[in-house]
Amino acid sequence: MALLRSELLKHRSTRTLLGLFAAMLGLILLAVLLHSLLPAEQLADRHTQLMVLGRGEFLGALFAALVGAMSVTAEIRHGTIRPTFLFSPRRDRVVAAKVGVSVAIGAGFGLLAGAAAVAVGAAALRARGITLQLDGRDYILLVAGSAAAAALWAAIGVGVGALVRHQVPTLVGICAWLLFVEGLLAGDLVGLGEVGRYLPGSAASAISGQDPGTLLTPAAGLALLAAYAAVAALAGAVAISRRDVG
Amino acid sequence: MTSHIDGGVPIAPAVDEAVVVAVRTLTKRFGDVVAVDDLTFSLRKGTVTGFLGPNGAGKTTTLRLLLGLAEPTAGEALVFGRRYRDLVQPARRVGAVLETGDFHPGRPGRDHLRSLALAAEIEPDRVEEVLELVELESAASRRVRTYSLGMRQRLGLATALLGDPELLVLDEPANGLDPAGVHWLRGFLRRFTDQGRTVLVSSHMLAEAAQTVDEVVIIDRGRLVATGGIDELTEDGRTLEEVFLALTEAPT
Repeated sequence: MALLRSELLKHRSTRTLLGLFAAMLGLILLAVLLHSLLPAEQLADRHTQLMVLGRGEFLGALFAALVGAMSVTAEIRHGTIRPTFLFSPRRDRVVAAKVGVSVAIGAGFGLLAGAAAVAVGAAALRARGITLQLDGRDYILLVAGSAAAAALWAAIGVGVGALVRHQVPTLVGICAWLLFVEGLLAGDLVGLGEVGRYLPGSAASAISGQDPGTLLTPAAGLALLAAYAAVAALAGAVAISRRDVG
Repeated sequence: MTSHIDGGVPIAPAVDEAVVVAVRTLTKRFGDVVAVDDLTFSLRKGTVTGFLGPNGAGKTTTLRLLLGLAEPTAGEALVFGRRYRDLVQPARRVGAVLETGDFHPGRPGRDHLRSLALAAEIEPDRVEEVLELVELESAASRRVRTYSLGMRQRLGLATALLGDPELLVLDEPANGLDPAGVHWLRGFLRRFTDQGRTVLVSSHMLAEAAQTVDEVVIIDRGRLVATGGIDELTEDGRTLEEVFLALTEAPT
């Protein structure tokens, strides 16, 4: 509990979190509005509507991962990891506290991201006179699924940050993976095909009900992404406990 | 906190209360480089010990091994008879300033201290006490990026003092301090040891060290070259600087 409060204060006492949140909201607005310029017949399709309103989940997960990663890499970059480990030498507990706080912040990011994308997307489609093909369950999945996906990606971020340690490669790696590497692997280029839906970005999209029929079910996506998060956090905790602090 | 009983035979021999730091055959290799080589020394309670050596001699590496931030390749470095990480509430026994700039530039000084106090369950009032002690109260709400080097040194010292420790480990604390700051630090360390506490201070500023320390441990290329009371080392009339240069001269 003491460590959770310490980690929460670290997040609250710099402007990093606010900056990431503002960037996330700005990008969601941009992505949703640009997608709402697609041809009307395409936007009338239910799958496209899910995709447009699902930009919240996508960017929420990305920024939550950055929050989690920076909770480790910013400490390494600025050297505060040294006093942190002097005041609490049990490094696995420090990582656990970082995961706990990042998951909570990630859930908040995802919730607001999902809600913002749904609100802006629905308004934009209505403004173009397009009938929404979505029901209550879709909206709940879009918002709650976004919160869950972002929460779990925040834990993945902590794990990756603890494994990679250097801030720039960590952040670039996470962005590259979610923005296009996974898409290339899952898409026609590499042709992972069926296997692609088991990748962590696709699992996150599945939680918010994207691409029904192609992706996993929301429940299966949630279970799979939780497994990824647990493995990443555990690997990060083991790695940072074994290595010397520079 | 729950205390648990290890049971059975103690692994280490009975701890000598007067020995605060015990470094025994400590070795640290980074690949082919031997940073610390079979180093043995100890620190007695209530002394200021200068840990001296040229740049790259292994001083900082030794301090990191002592504080559990790095693992020794061989040997051991104990504080109060245990490895740092095995101490109960280590921040209440050992305070350390390893480098200038172990702060997030965007975080106010007070929040830096509060986050660490929370982690070690140190009462919040102590944050204000140490801020007052190092005369940073008026700057405590400002972000660290606005601090001068001397202010950062004092915030580092405040961090080390948060837990009201019995042992203070300082790595080059006089860097960036102005003459008044150096004078203040010297007086502070003297008052600290007068309370029966212990200081280990690394430095390559020999003139300053000669005025401050009781004991010295001199290392060169990771190896111990001299240890003892400063009076013994300089009893033949040589200055600490002359002794140091004679001992650490590069071989021809």
